[in-house]
Amino acid sequence: MRATRWVLGSAALVAVPWIAAAVVPGQQRYVLHVLIFTALYGALALSYDLVVGHVGSLSLAHPAFFGLGAYTLALLATEARWPFALALPAGIALAAVVALAVGVPMFRLTEHSFAMGTLGFAIVTQVVATNWVDFTHGPLCVTGIPKPQVGALRIATLPAFYWMGLGALALVALLYRGLTTFRLGRAFHAVRDNETLAAAASIDPLRYRMLAFVIGGGVAGGIGALYVSYVGVLCPGELTVSLSVNLLVMVFLGGVGSLRGVLVGAAAFTALPEILRMAPTWRMVIYGLLLLVIVIRAPDGLEGLMRRASSRRRRPASSGA
Amino acid sequence: MALFETRGLTKRFLGVTAVDAVDLTVEAGELVSLIGPNGSGKTTLFNCVTGYLAPDEGRVTFQGRDVTGVAAHRIARLGIGRTFQLVSVFPRLSALENLLTFLQQHQEESLVGRLVRAPRVRRLEAAAVERARSLLDSVGLGGRAEAPAGTLSYGQRKLLAFAAALMPDPDLLLLDEPAAAVNPTMIEQMKAQIRTLHRQGKTVLLVEHNMDVVMDISQRVIVLDHGQKIAEGAPEVVRRDPKVVEAYFGR
Amino acid sequence: MSDLLEQLVHGLTLGSLYAMVATGLALMFGVVRLINFAHGEFYMLGGYAFWYAYVELGLPYPVAGLAAVAAMAAFGLAYERAVIRTILARTWHVQLIATLATSITLTNLAIIVFGTQPKEVPTRLSAAILEVGGVRMVWQRVLVLVAAVAIFAALEWFVAHARLGKAMRAMSQNREACAVVGVDVQQVALATFGISAGLAAAAAALVSPLFSIFPDVGALLTLKAFAAVIVGGFGYVRGAIAAAFLIGIAESLAAGYLSYAYKDAIAFVVMVAVLLVRPQGLFGRRIGI
Repeated sequence: MRATRWVLGSAALVAVPWIAAAVVPGQQRYVLHVLIFTALYGALALSYDLVVGHVGSLSLAHPAFFGLGAYTLALLATEARWPFALALPAGIALAAVVALAVGVPMFRLTEHSFAMGTLGFAIVTQVVATNWVDFTHGPLCVTGIPKPQVGALRIATLPAFYWMGLGALALVALLYRGLTTFRLGRAFHAVRDNETLAAAASIDPLRYRMLAFVIGGGVAGGIGALYVSYVGVLCPGELTVSLSVNLLVMVFLGGVGSLRGVLVGAAAFTALPEILRMAPTWRMVIYGLLLLVIVIRAPDGLEGLMRRASSRRRRPASSGA
Repeated sequence: MALFETRGLTKRFLGVTAVDAVDLTVEAGELVSLIGPNGSGKTTLFNCVTGYLAPDEGRVTFQGRDVTGVAAHRIARLGIGRTFQLVSVFPRLSALENLLTFLQQHQEESLVGRLVRAPRVRRLEAAAVERARSLLDSVGLGGRAEAPAGTLSYGQRKLLAFAAALMPDPDLLLLDEPAAAVNPTMIEQMKAQIRTLHRQGKTVLLVEHNMDVVMDISQRVIVLDHGQKIAEGAPEVVRRDPKVVEAYFGR
Repeated sequence: MSDLLEQLVHGLTLGSLYAMVATGLALMFGVVRLINFAHGEFYMLGGYAFWYAYVELGLPYPVAGLAAVAAMAAFGLAYERAVIRTILARTWHVQLIATLATSITLTNLAIIVFGTQPKEVPTRLSAAILEVGGVRMVWQRVLVLVAAVAIFAALEWFVAHARLGKAMRAMSQNREACAVVGVDVQQVALATFGISAGLAAAAAALVSPLFSIFPDVGALLTLKAFAAVIVGGFGYVRGAIAAAFLIGIAESLAAGYLSYAYKDAIAFVVMVAVLLVRPQGLFGRRIGI
């Protein structure tokens, strides 16, 4: 029964470009564009939730890794004419290596210092990206980033980018699942919930925090590379602190530590501005207030609300707990 | 060769010497209690030998190896288990999962190794679950195996922490105030559990305030006061030692 | 040589600014164990309040400055009541995200209300030039340094002698004991926020004639002030002040001799450098403010 639902669901997701063309002709391009962003943001949010939700390290460095992957691909593809098949792994690798290098000093810090340290790193990355004009083009942006081409396969149309985004999201979701269940998941959660006890259980907190941080950073870099391959242009404004706020909203609004929750949060977050169609500044005010209310009143986010609602529905059916 | 030994162990905080050149020996199979008035440095000593604090001076030896200043997770891996003064569990995990968390590192392979040897991993996991269930049964928590640890009573959590520390079959067990803040029935249960461990040949070093418990089950008692070891010996001998009496009642 | 001295003077101005902002942050952390990510916005809003009083309402400089301080102190009290009180008992994740969310909200509201164009607030002192030993500076810079020192001295006296100040110090050292002996913990927390916000506004009133006010100014300021707090040893006010001056001078020298564009990275570099060598801060783990 569940398998059938999976197959049907996956088929439906793959068929979206045709469904959109049929259901909302004329709007198809716009809908696909929104969905591509949703898929990429969803994958990015999952990579962030790995660090924040499962191992409990409140890192604000994610925009930097996203940007590092993006700039690596952008510059390698435009200046050094690297093919996509090499530039993408390069972006992932660079982001992961930097995460490793940054993580070592950062994880010596506790709590608040760690958050501020990672924030500082993100800001420094942004400052460098903006000011090292000779290398990154600074505010002039890197333009003319070529569309991905792997052998004969060329991703240039919107449906193609949609499938690329969907594929990336599926891969990241699988990775996320694999990392957060069974023994590895238990180790992560032990470090998150009681680091002192985790050490007494032979679990090295530093090792697991670094693992989540490096994998999360590497994936963020990969998403950054995919993002610029789609958009075609890269400006330093892409890696600002706002991205950290957006990620926090997605993760906490949806449900920190939950696959379904984070994806719902990412979808809601990307769809909301399109539905609300408001000026970006007002949007940030709403997000700020939303984040404030949610983190105080509903720290489990939408996922928590959904779970409570479904358990309430189930209770009348079962007689006796 | 003693199983566990400290030599000249010293720890200072902001001008206060919490542990002052303490020499301590525990032979394999012994049941030793560490006692002393509040602030005498017992828990600090525990933290120094289990890797949570770095000693300023001195050496800690376990099974002939120098483990001074070794990190907590590595100490645990070497076979020293401990409980904490303020009972510590993983609240969001079930009692069973709490115990499983304590065993996995001892069976942990590399990431790839885990994926490739899937059937072996599954067998190990099944064995681990069985061991966990039997440990929970032995402390009387068998019926609450699936309950989230956060929903258990304080006494039940203490028993859970005790069982969890036993899960990786440590060669030395350090118990920090196992009889604290629990009702008399639970105290008797704890005493019985510790006696059983001793009968099974396990080495136990416990910190305890409850004199009845100490006198009742210990083979040997070590007394700390103001960070220094002031007495050591059989329970009846130590309790009558004038230095010990003064430490507890003299002020 | 005069070039170097001029950079040093600029460094002292920056240091005074960072020190005043960092003191508020250190007080909040020391007394109620909370990191307020929105602290830079206290400065920003204080700056706008000062601009409004001085430029729009035409009040004389000292009056406008005090009005801004009073307005922000009131805002700080309201903020404590509305947001902080709810999150004080929660985990630091919640506190960090909640205050970060407040920061975003306030910054964007400021963009909507005041626009993104920076507001200039020139005073007589920011135009009048003083020349000492070949070094040229505007009188405003002297005022900033003198006022900052005066404020720190007043704060020292307050914490040592005033009842509320002593309660703040006591709370920063042992909160439980304070509650037991009858200190009104809530009232002290409230007052701490009012004072911190007022300090930020005072900094704004003193420094904005030199640097102008814009909605984003708070973000970098929070980071640098926090860097000072960390380097100074978390919650130790004197340490934060010393570290803030260190950072201010380092930044000014870097801007003058290395590269103006990267000056904002200096505070972070100093912070990481200190933390790698001495994670407990320059002055070590201290208890209390």
